[in-house]
Amino acid sequence: MTQVTKKQLVMIKGTKSGLVLRLDDQCAYSELLSELEQKVREEALEGTTEIQLHLGNRYCTDEQVKELINCVQKSPHLRVTKVQGDVIRVEECNRLIKENQSETFVGIVRSGQVVQAEGDLVIIGDVNPNGKAIANGNIFVLGRLKGIAHAGAGGNLDAVIAASWLEATHLMIADKVETMTDELTILSERPEMECAYIHRNGFIAIDRLQELRILRPNLSTFKGGS
Amino acid sequence: MGEAIVVTSGKGGVGKTTTTANLGTALALQGKKVCLIDTDIGLRNLDVVLGLENRIIYDLVDVVEGRCRVNQALVKDKRFEDRLFLLPAAQTADKLAVSPEQMKELVTDLKREYDYILIDCPAGIEQGYQNAVAGADRAIVVTTPEISAVRDADRIIGLLEQEEGIEAPKLIINRIKRHLMDSGEALDVNEITTHLSIDLLGIVMDDENVISSSNKGEPVVLNPANRAATGYRNIARRILGESVPLMSMDEQKKGLFGKLKSLFSK
Repeated sequence: MTQVTKKQLVMIKGTKSGLVLRLDDQCAYSELLSELEQKVREEALEGTTEIQLHLGNRYCTDEQVKELINCVQKSPHLRVTKVQGDVIRVEECNRLIKENQSETFVGIVRSGQVVQAEGDLVIIGDVNPNGKAIANGNIFVLGRLKGIAHAGAGGNLDAVIAASWLEATHLMIADKVETMTDELTILSERPEMECAYIHRNGFIAIDRLQELRILRPNLSTFKGGS
Repeated sequence: MGEAIVVTSGKGGVGKTTTTANLGTALALQGKKVCLIDTDIGLRNLDVVLGLENRIIYDLVDVVEGRCRVNQALVKDKRFEDRLFLLPAAQTADKLAVSPEQMKELVTDLKREYDYILIDCPAGIEQGYQNAVAGADRAIVVTTPEISAVRDADRIIGLLEQEEGIEAPKLIINRIKRHLMDSGEALDVNEITTHLSIDLLGIVMDDENVISSSNKGEPVVLNPANRAATGYRNIARRILGESVPLMSMDEQKKGLFGKLKSLFSK
């Protein structure tokens, strides 16, 4: 029996930004790993090459991903910049959906009450002093924000807080806290239609709502129209 | 079947007990059969304000623990024939002596016999508050034009809104000092109502006679010429479903001419 040419489990493709390793998603993981090891050893490169790993339809646990990265980076010339797959777990998928969803609360967040959202939070009503709004995404208040707002609670530094009337006692975005001292509120005597965001200098800044268009262009999810 | 109304505030000293005594009296004056319940166990004083202190034999704790029947514990205010009764709180026990379930049962029983049951709530948001709220159908939140009282009112409204079986709470702004509101030193009525965003049931002007009449054991509402009494009487009429315009705060100073003048200047 002649030896059939074995199917390549690791395909290498060159792109402008480095090499893409397309890993077979049908074979056993152990086979894949050993072939990857072999391929890495064969590479004769100088300098550092950036590598992207494409996993295809194979689901890899975090440990496995780490193992693959380590395997490639055994070669001093290779550096993995990105690992990409076409499949995710259902839980992760649900989490992502939630994070990108916007939840709406209609009512008044009164003293001692906490309203929390996985994604964006829209409050139609006021947030009274000592009331708290927390969201992993952005917070939009159609009403007076007089209490505490914490946007990007999961660590999203790009999150913003916007309110029809922004006179919060505390603004928090990701891990930044800003107590509304007099100096800050004096900036606008009528705190109408304002937004808070993390400025390039690392501090929370307040600006006109209209500036968001420029400050956070990615906020817009609107497609279509004319 | 009567209605149970809890009078609460969160903060202490804003006039819950005075309001309960005066509203109860005003409702009795309107011909309703009223029962007042003091739930401030351990710190009772509704009996003192009504001048019924020396007539107490049994109290709330005796009733729920079965040492007496409800009717034995009820103290009748003789000034109103058979229309005003008080169920006093115990002074020797604490708030844990009664449970919300027991209170609910008691209030349901009393609702069969009385038109209105006013429950005087203790300050705070602990067991005492929960007892007071347990049997109530409606709630009145009392506040004064001070930030601290308004903050606590906000908290208590939040709690009341989560409570099942209670209508949206209504607001009474108590102890209004005209000159402080005019000068902007005290929060004004509008500011408080928009901040709390609940319906305003009425306002009561600050008046020295409230204290002196409480000390005498005669609710101020018995004196129709008093401006605080007018406030309480108006509130009682609103509770009965009448629509009474909000009393103007400067009624006292203006004569007929002044009123006419302000009519034309509008």
